[in-house]
Amino acid sequence: MNAAIIGQMAISGALMGLVYALIAYGFQLTYATSKSINFGQGELVMLSAFFSLTLTNLGLTHWGLGLSYALMIPGGLLFGALMGLVVERAGVRLALEQKSEGWILLTIIIGLFFFSAAENIWGRDDRPFPTPISADPIHVLGVDVTRLELSVAVGVFAIMGLIELFKRRTLLGKAFEAVAADRDAAELMGISATRTVMLSYGLSGAVAALAGILVSPITTVGPTMASALILKAFSVAVVAGLDSGFGVVLVGMFLGVLESLASYYVGSGWREAPGLILLILALALRPTGVFGKATIRKV
Amino acid sequence: MRRLLFLRGAELLAFAVLGAIPLLVLNEYALGLLTLLSIYGILLIGLDVTVGYLGQVNLAQIAFLGLGGYAAGLVITRLGMGMGPALLAATALCLVLGGLLALPALRLEGPQFALATLSFAALSATALNELESLTGGAQGLSIAQPPIFGHILTKPQFYWLCLAFLALVWMLMRNLLASQWGRAFEALRDSPIATDAMGVGTYRHKVAAFALGSGLGGLAGGLYALNLGYLQPQSFGYEQMITLLLGVVLGGRKSLWGALVGASVIVLLPNLLSKHDLFLAFSGLGCAMALAAGLRGLVKKTTRPFQALAPVVAMGILVVGGFFVPNTEDWRKAIFALMLFSVVVGLPEGLMGFLTGFLAKLFRVPEAPLPEPSDLNSVLPTHPADGSPLLVLDHLKRYFGGVKAVDDLSMTVCSGSIHGLIGPNGSGKSTVVNVISGLYTPSGGRVLLHGQELPQGSLFRVARAGVARTFQNLQLFGELTALENVMVALKDVYRSPLPLVLLGLARPEERRAQADALALLELIGLKDQARAKAKDLTYGAQRFLEIARALARKPDLLILDEPAAGLAHPDVLQQIEIIKRVHQRGITIILIEHHMDVVSELCDAVTVLDGGKVIAEGTPDEVKRHPKVVEAYLGQPPETDSATPHTDGGAAPLPA
Amino acid sequence: MFKQLVHGSLLLSALGLQGGDTVKIALTGPFSGGSAPMGTSARDGAKLAIAEINAAGGIQVGAKKLKIEVIERDDEAKNERGALIAQELAAMSDLSGVIGTVNTGVCIAGDKHLQETGITKIICPAAGSASMTQWSKAGVKDNSIFRFAAHDGIQAAMVVEEAINRKFTKVAVVFDSTNYGVSGRDDMLDQIKKQGNKLTVVAQEKFNIGDKDMTAQLLRAKSAGAEAILIWGIGPELAAISNGEAKIGMKAPLIGGWTLSMSNYIDNAGKNGNGTLMPQTFIEEPITPKAKAFIDGYHKTFKVGRIPSPVAAAQGYDAVYLMAAAVKQAGSTDTHKVKEALEDLKEPVKGVIATWNHPYAKWDPADVTTHEAFRREQTVMGMVKDGHVVFGNDADRERLRKSATTATPAKLNKAKAKTK
Repeated sequence: MNAAIIGQMAISGALMGLVYALIAYGFQLTYATSKSINFGQGELVMLSAFFSLTLTNLGLTHWGLGLSYALMIPGGLLFGALMGLVVERAGVRLALEQKSEGWILLTIIIGLFFFSAAENIWGRDDRPFPTPISADPIHVLGVDVTRLELSVAVGVFAIMGLIELFKRRTLLGKAFEAVAADRDAAELMGISATRTVMLSYGLSGAVAALAGILVSPITTVGPTMASALILKAFSVAVVAGLDSGFGVVLVGMFLGVLESLASYYVGSGWREAPGLILLILALALRPTGVFGKATIRKV
Repeated sequence: MRRLLFLRGAELLAFAVLGAIPLLVLNEYALGLLTLLSIYGILLIGLDVTVGYLGQVNLAQIAFLGLGGYAAGLVITRLGMGMGPALLAATALCLVLGGLLALPALRLEGPQFALATLSFAALSATALNELESLTGGAQGLSIAQPPIFGHILTKPQFYWLCLAFLALVWMLMRNLLASQWGRAFEALRDSPIATDAMGVGTYRHKVAAFALGSGLGGLAGGLYALNLGYLQPQSFGYEQMITLLLGVVLGGRKSLWGALVGASVIVLLPNLLSKHDLFLAFSGLGCAMALAAGLRGLVKKTTRPFQALAPVVAMGILVVGGFFVPNTEDWRKAIFALMLFSVVVGLPEGLMGFLTGFLAKLFRVPEAPLPEPSDLNSVLPTHPADGSPLLVLDHLKRYFGGVKAVDDLSMTVCSGSIHGLIGPNGSGKSTVVNVISGLYTPSGGRVLLHGQELPQGSLFRVARAGVARTFQNLQLFGELTALENVMVALKDVYRSPLPLVLLGLARPEERRAQADALALLELIGLKDQARAKAKDLTYGAQRFLEIARALARKPDLLILDEPAAGLAHPDVLQQIEIIKRVHQRGITIILIEHHMDVVSELCDAVTVLDGGKVIAEGTPDEVKRHPKVVEAYLGQPPETDSATPHTDGGAAPLPA
Repeated sequence: MFKQLVHGSLLLSALGLQGGDTVKIALTGPFSGGSAPMGTSARDGAKLAIAEINAAGGIQVGAKKLKIEVIERDDEAKNERGALIAQELAAMSDLSGVIGTVNTGVCIAGDKHLQETGITKIICPAAGSASMTQWSKAGVKDNSIFRFAAHDGIQAAMVVEEAINRKFTKVAVVFDSTNYGVSGRDDMLDQIKKQGNKLTVVAQEKFNIGDKDMTAQLLRAKSAGAEAILIWGIGPELAAISNGEAKIGMKAPLIGGWTLSMSNYIDNAGKNGNGTLMPQTFIEEPITPKAKAFIDGYHKTFKVGRIPSPVAAAQGYDAVYLMAAAVKQAGSTDTHKVKEALEDLKEPVKGVIATWNHPYAKWDPADVTTHEAFRREQTVMGMVKDGHVVFGNDADRERLRKSATTATPAKLNKAKAKTK
């Protein structure tokens, strides 16, 4: 074993981990306001990626790749946000009003619908996603990375930074924080919790869409593209803690690196095992997550 | 009796029809479907224990199907043993693994629990795939059905075997779930804290529920392996798990019939969808039903508009789509999703939940009669009260970080007294109670009951030691009836060992439990509402019910945490009356209360806390005039002797 | 309104059922989920053939011309569903035959039900060896299961041969963790031994369906000095391997199973896929008029620019013509007679892959090739070049053009030798 190999593994793993983290961040957004998450988030990632692909191809008939790609991004994000709102309206709101956990099933069901719709609208095959960003490797400190991979890192930090800034600097964002901190108190202050939950699902949808846009030039677009990703993202969100903020970035990168190293040193078939064991352990020892806030049981 | 006849009759009829089908229709395909239906029935009954009764989204059941299947398969192929040992091994392995998995999952709820089980499922799939030398890995494991008594079962015979297992599981589970075990599972779902505080033991029941459900999964897995004759790790993945989960919900949670309906849907629906005309007919029917149910709900105002309209829209999409899409096979998942959506939104209790109510009305099935209440003296014998110290707090401390919520507190509660514990908000009253009852572990000091140290930091063990409590924020078991809420907590009634319970031989003690619980409900004036779900009771009644439930523990010490909080005036009066009645039976009570008039009327002694310390002790009248008390409540020293604090509002907000 | 619709549809179905006189052929396979591209391609190829036959009036069965009626079943690549579907089909008394199945596991779980009742099935395009060897292992005397796919044995032999011909000595064997990948690995290792251990396997690496990052596997292969990667897997993960190679600057070419010709590999690997080699039974190049008609027909009928899996589609198409020829020769829709006819097809059948001359022979448990249609002759090495699969060497193109138009005599002789 040498340092270059470990470095290469670490970088590849960490970049994959950032994608997990971004999707996990989408979970956090909705959990903060409503204590619910979209179990069909993976389908949202996939659906938005397909839609963005269609937008790009549409753009290609008029403009060059660069411009189409740039114009597609806001369209894709908007679509993701819209789908997030659909999930909220159809799957979450009623369950929240009834204070039941019905949202778990409903979001799974809506995801199933999205999956089937995508299969039939866009086909069952995996397709490449055109991108103006080069996939040629650049050699940094003995490690190969592609610009495409770096663009993932940039995109992840950009959107997370923007949303955090939005939460802290704008009135709407502060309402979001207020509902997250104490829903009842926020409602007494005249903040509509329902609207804030809608906002959080919209944002979460946009985050999912960005994850799809960022990852699909690397992994291709297909109906099943997110099914493996989503389980990892889910683990990252829970291990970090569903209210851990940037904790997901650390845990995501850690998990990515761990997977890479495990498949190198243990055997490629066992790639996921250390992560899963770690997950069960982390949950057993710290149910609220490594970076989550421990709560005092009150009765 | 008529009810019992009806219910058992329906079960018998269903199994008789299922059993007779192979005699009437000699169709291999129908047999294959029925066999699978029986196997999935067992699997879903197992899953329902955790999903329905424990109320947790369990994503590990598919793994137990796989593990059970492989266990059976390996016993047959590697050890050359027969069907009996194979099925036994499958069940036993999953029983143990399920119990083990419950250990880390014990502290988890909601999404965390779902994830822990999901990880387990992924881990077991990885292991089955990677342990190639043992399981054959991805190449799969082929299993030839071993003979029984030198004779290979024919397809109908194997089906009957599966059906017999389903019937057996059905019977055992029916008995178990109708017993204290079933109630304990449900109690756990609604409030783990209260379950512990009622001495039921979340730990034991959660592990038991999980092991049981998983064991059934293993049994189903063993049968599955024998039926299919070929196993591959990939057959036990996330997608299949979702199907199982949806099957339980669609059929109806907490219902054996629901599990059977769910299994039928899982097995039959794909076949239904492959025939376009049949699909159109069914979706039209479904849409009409959704429309009728929705309109009815809207007119009667029993459902929200969304709940009434969304299923109609979903089914409408199905019907319209059906005419445009020539190949329904391609859209199978979307169709499945739309149907499920309609059911989950429109019929949250599932198909069976909806049908049960409907059928009960249609056939006028009477409700099971309740026994006469027991004599209260046998349920709650009068305690001798001698005024000796019952509970002693000795330099008790509890810190939260730097906050000293309870700061070196010592006090004594005398046997047979009602001891008031008052103080402004944040003075540490609730923390004291939570430390005594075992919710919090003290940072220092001791708690003595009858001169013996109470266990620390365990609600369960404190409850077993003779302390019962109510909760400031109600912790009732909302989905259970008032009667069942009390029955769950009953002490010294359930003695039958598990095998007897499973065989349905614990009925007499169940009757006695009902009678005892009724006596307690009578004491608090809720006997007429025994069958109402706790969540449907009025707020006042819920407060009373908490007391009845605590009394079922036959406690030496009863802690009432703000029993009159939020009650309307008439209810406050009734609550006072109830507490007096309880007191008459010689039970020592610690009363935390804001209403000074309640305190004055009831308490023999009062301890006043502020900042986690005792600032005054004595009779209610003494305490009321105590200068420190007045200062604590009013925020300033009294100006004259006659300044009396509020007697109605208690810890009123500080004057502006 | 709804009642009317329901009523109408029931009426329609009743009428449809009365239609009666048809040749019923079932098409099965995974039409949704991960292996759907192959399943749907095979299905659609088959449907194209059926549409052609029906447009020409149907199959001449005895005195009548009967149209083909399709029964379509999605096995979702699930063994359990496959078994149920097989049971359903086995219970249909008037079924003439079954064509389909992609996943070897589904074959193992389901085909026994068909075989027990003697329903004729042509497996297409599943290639896992176990789907046929299970019958020889069980010592079945009379087998109604045929296969119409280049089986892994042929393919693995060609892959290893190609690696040796190209003067590689150190190779990495990479495979997916499914049945398909693992049995491919076994076949390749077996062939390396059989062909004289001229290749050293320096690394054996596995990947899971859905894996996106193959850096670990490739680094191990690279540091072990692999010059070529012998690969067995399905779908976009293969592309992830090619792209991963480009990223870490590895230049070992991929040589592997025919799935490397699927669009989800070629498209997604882009220029990184150039030079990848795989055995092919059909190449989406209009080398013959028949091939051109097929490719155009497929594109037009199913509104695609390219066939997701040309090999699967062409095999599905040819399988239908074989089945139709058998029905015609049997002069009956009875599946047992169709089986007899299929084992002894007298007239050559013109397909898009080849002209099939006596493709099957009477089942011999000791020799699964009696029920295998494909021989080395129908298989060539394809190579990815700028987003298309082209012939790996030009001699093959000529040979295949000939074999598509004139019957290959080898099989007929062999069958005759047996009967003599």
